[in-house]
Amino acid sequence: MNGGFVEGGVYIVQGDPGSGKTILANQICYKHIEGGGRVLYVTLLAESHSRLLQQLGTLSFFDQAAVSDQIVYVSGFTTLEEDGLPGLLNLLRREIKGRKATMLVLDGFLATQASASSERDFKKFIHDLQGQVAAAGCTTFLLTNDDGRASRPERTMVDGIVQMVRRPSGDRTERYLEVVKLRSSAFLEGRHAYSIDSDGYHVHPRFEALYATPSRHDDVGEDRYTTGAPSLDAVIGGGLRTTSTSAVIGPSGAGKTTIGIQFIGASTPEEPGLLFGFYETPPRLKVKAKRIGVDLDALTASGAVEILWQAPTEPVFDALGHRLVDAVRRRKVKRLLVDGLGGFIAAASEPSRISRFFAALANELRVLGVTTLYTMETRDLFGAQVEVPIDNISSLVENLLYMRFVERQSRMARILAIVKMRDSDFDPALREYTIDDSGIHIGQPFVGAEALMTGFAHESASEPRPAPLPPRA
Amino acid sequence: MKTVLVVEDEFGVADLILTALEDEGYRVLKAAHGAQALERLGQEKPDLIISDFMMPIMDGPTFAAQVKAMDDLAHVPIIMMSAVPETALRARFDRYEVFLQKPFRIDDLVEVVGKALGKDAG
Repeated sequence: MNGGFVEGGVYIVQGDPGSGKTILANQICYKHIEGGGRVLYVTLLAESHSRLLQQLGTLSFFDQAAVSDQIVYVSGFTTLEEDGLPGLLNLLRREIKGRKATMLVLDGFLATQASASSERDFKKFIHDLQGQVAAAGCTTFLLTNDDGRASRPERTMVDGIVQMVRRPSGDRTERYLEVVKLRSSAFLEGRHAYSIDSDGYHVHPRFEALYATPSRHDDVGEDRYTTGAPSLDAVIGGGLRTTSTSAVIGPSGAGKTTIGIQFIGASTPEEPGLLFGFYETPPRLKVKAKRIGVDLDALTASGAVEILWQAPTEPVFDALGHRLVDAVRRRKVKRLLVDGLGGFIAAASEPSRISRFFAALANELRVLGVTTLYTMETRDLFGAQVEVPIDNISSLVENLLYMRFVERQSRMARILAIVKMRDSDFDPALREYTIDDSGIHIGQPFVGAEALMTGFAHESASEPRPAPLPPRA
Repeated sequence: MKTVLVVEDEFGVADLILTALEDEGYRVLKAAHGAQALERLGQEKPDLIISDFMMPIMDGPTFAAQVKAMDDLAHVPIIMMSAVPETALRARFDRYEVFLQKPFRIDDLVEVVGKALGKDAG
């Protein structure tokens, strides 16, 4: 919202029951109090004050000592019933003045429209209220349910409208906020996810909208970072270009995380690394790293590496993006491993957003000077087709490494293909690799075999061919 | 029949108290805020006052202070109700006899009212 609400303005907060209007309004109120403001919270047809305060008592922003002094909860419903809108307006005027209120909340605003004898009377009430609160410098929020009418008269009159939506998405409930209107200020249009926890309300601006333009100039990196695996560096021209984005894709067990750990293991306090993982918990990652000679405990203790783990249960897609970028900015991260891009993707309820999201993420990470490595799991261990959980992967990354299992002469082998390595010389040959207690080792190119990338190799025509493999179940 | 004046801005809470106390045989008067309650006290002399703390126009502390300043009403016990714990309010105001924490159960309300009026009340 480009800074917040204008003092003395009137704003509608509209949403379904349970969307969190009351929590949002109260969070704004208690923040206002921290700055020395005074709040008048008037309920009409809304939950009782005792229930409201019980609920607020579970939230960290609630300040009980401020209640009845800096913030006062009163009901205006009886006045509205007995004296109509003029009576309510009079009550508000007296209370704002008497309590020196600098913020007003009218919770249950829909009741005022029901009390109006005509649309003209209702518009006059809104008009008079606007004049009254503007003169008092009292920023006002009108909390109301969504009655499905887009053309309600108050919508054209107020200074801003914030719409809150809850909607089912599979077994989950998703919450979105949209600033529909905001006078005197630019705002980020469209829907933005929000979540509510014990600290209250968190808005997660739509990532690709917030980072539509990278936050700074793109300094193209000319240096290279070691992958941490010398034999891999050797086949990709000496390492990964700094500020580039790379993906290692392959089936479970191929060694993607091993490459990632080696890459992050080369971090130093001067060039810090971030391991942003989804599936393997930090203790498991540490054990795995130790097996290949990378001491993540020591690296985290020295400040060279931070591990941020996200439970891949029900995260908010945009929140993940912001958490990642915030962590990068906080420590000026230079090496980033996102272990399990599928965890990110699983959080996206709208598949059409995924490519735009990751394009914006890649651009922002690049201008922040981050060299990024994603791991991404493909579905099948063997097979001619490769299914990745994201479209246009090749356009989103500059470097693409493909790991896979192949069956050859009744033996399972692991091969690595450098599919793409932008601005670098690389050896396109398919190479077998092994993993031992010092990490990954890239071997010599395959010779004498064909169809390796299908997973079922056979010998070249010049050599004897093994019997055809049976069809897969 | 004992008379109880209920001063409460939340109509739902006021109606709940009225119904509960009328069921117990009390005569119940209502006012939506302190100023309205003072008007009623011009014509009525209740045996007990139950007042909310936060109300528009005139809040509970201001109303109670005015009642206690009236010679003919100073003796009337006041039950002060609030969703804010008493410990948070006592430091600012103590012109009441009994505190009732919101939300409350009907049985607790009836018991507190009975005690405030004496065992033979109602």
